[in-house]
Amino acid sequence: MQRPILWIHGEALGPANPALVAHPGRPAVFVFDSALLLGRSASTGDPSSPAEPVSLKRIGFLYECLLELPVSLRRGDVAEEVLTFAAAHGADGIVTCASNDPRVARITETLLRQLPVQVLAVEPFVQLDGPVDLGRFSRYWRRAEPQVWAGWREPGP
Amino acid sequence: MASDPIAGVPLPWPDQPGELPRHFRNRQALAQTLEQLFPEAAGSLSPVRGGRHQADTLLARLQPERYAKGRNFLDGPVTRLSPYIRHGVLTLAEVREAVFARTRSRQGSEKLINELGWRDYWQRLWQQLGDGLWRDQEELKTGHSAAAYARELPADILEARTGLACMDGFIEELHGTGWLHNHARMWLAAYLVHWRRIRWQTGAQWFLQHLLDGDPASNALSWQWVASSFSHKPYIFNRGNLERYSNGRACRHCPLATEGCPFEASYEQLEADLFAPMPTIRATDNRRGGRDASRSGNRGRSGTTQGSSTTALSRPTPRR
Repeated sequence: MQRPILWIHGEALGPANPALVAHPGRPAVFVFDSALLLGRSASTGDPSSPAEPVSLKRIGFLYECLLELPVSLRRGDVAEEVLTFAAAHGADGIVTCASNDPRVARITETLLRQLPVQVLAVEPFVQLDGPVDLGRFSRYWRRAEPQVWAGWREPGP
Repeated sequence: MASDPIAGVPLPWPDQPGELPRHFRNRQALAQTLEQLFPEAAGSLSPVRGGRHQADTLLARLQPERYAKGRNFLDGPVTRLSPYIRHGVLTLAEVREAVFARTRSRQGSEKLINELGWRDYWQRLWQQLGDGLWRDQEELKTGHSAAAYARELPADILEARTGLACMDGFIEELHGTGWLHNHARMWLAAYLVHWRRIRWQTGAQWFLQHLLDGDPASNALSWQWVASSFSHKPYIFNRGNLERYSNGRACRHCPLATEGCPFEASYEQLEADLFAPMPTIRATDNRRGGRDASRSGNRGRSGTTQGSSTTALSRPTPRR
């Protein structure tokens, strides 16, 4: 990828977004996802209930976060808008950042049909190798807590 | 200030047709533009501002030891970082480092780091469950079938006129600001699910409409914890608990303070009133291995509640 655009999504609206860090100055876009904001997604509503739009408070919060980032703003169908933006900038690929939201994964698949997509990982809270038992928090934490605290250095006298 | 101009950081590339504005005369103008752009979205802006600048201001005020001691109180020193963490304005790793930088003794910061761990835990579960987090993870332990819970939010809840000063206050705060203290979230969720017998999914969706930190995983799974489909026992509270951690704020002017408060009872009495007998609870738990036995094990009468810095309706907690 020589001329990527960056797709910024709602899971990584900070300067530590690895796409922004890896490609400073490259055109970046965020798309207000119309269906999601209308509540028609499992990210904003119960799939078995009638959709309810999210309130303006949430949109305003995202908007204010986005104004502090070098990112163009669009609204509509996310994949379509990202691809329009990519075409306008003559991009040969898309760089974005990892997310746990299945909706982000589905959009990424759609993008992949048109352009290569590179998904960069965010710095993890704690690195745990191999399968992690999430059956209960205590099992997870028994493994995670020592790793987290291994990064702390007691202040000197 | 509300009257200051709002300017997006400059973009080194030209605007394309169809792009949304990034400059506003002031915050009110931003609100007006958003109302036009998103006509289906109800309400206006939250007093809580988005952006890293505001997140850094809050981060600079972190006091891990005070947090550990006072976080369960509605007016306690909680971080209010949850909306910024939920949307990755701050990464958990950045917050972890900020906590470490303010840590003199590990013990003093363990509680706050543990809360960050809960956020990480919910996110890992989201990866595992996907959209399945909207389904009951286990049978309810209330003695009522899932079908016994209403699918719609009653008007008195949507309009904050339940007549209960505490709940109406929480609803107004949720609608007006998009943020609630974790303890208030738990009380409100328990009121909806157990006293009003509304499906947890309905409540969870309502929270996602409003909460600035609305995260599908933290929110849905915590509602399930309250409901008992992700715990071994339903979460309830009583007036003594609410009054203690809210410093009696709402009760002082509640019309039901002297008579008719539905929370004024012992836990035993409330359990008898709210739940149907369910003789198989123990067997169910043993078989399933008690997904969150650690939490339920903590829920004895002597536990303390937890206010959260990091999640939508953060991981549920002991009831007293």
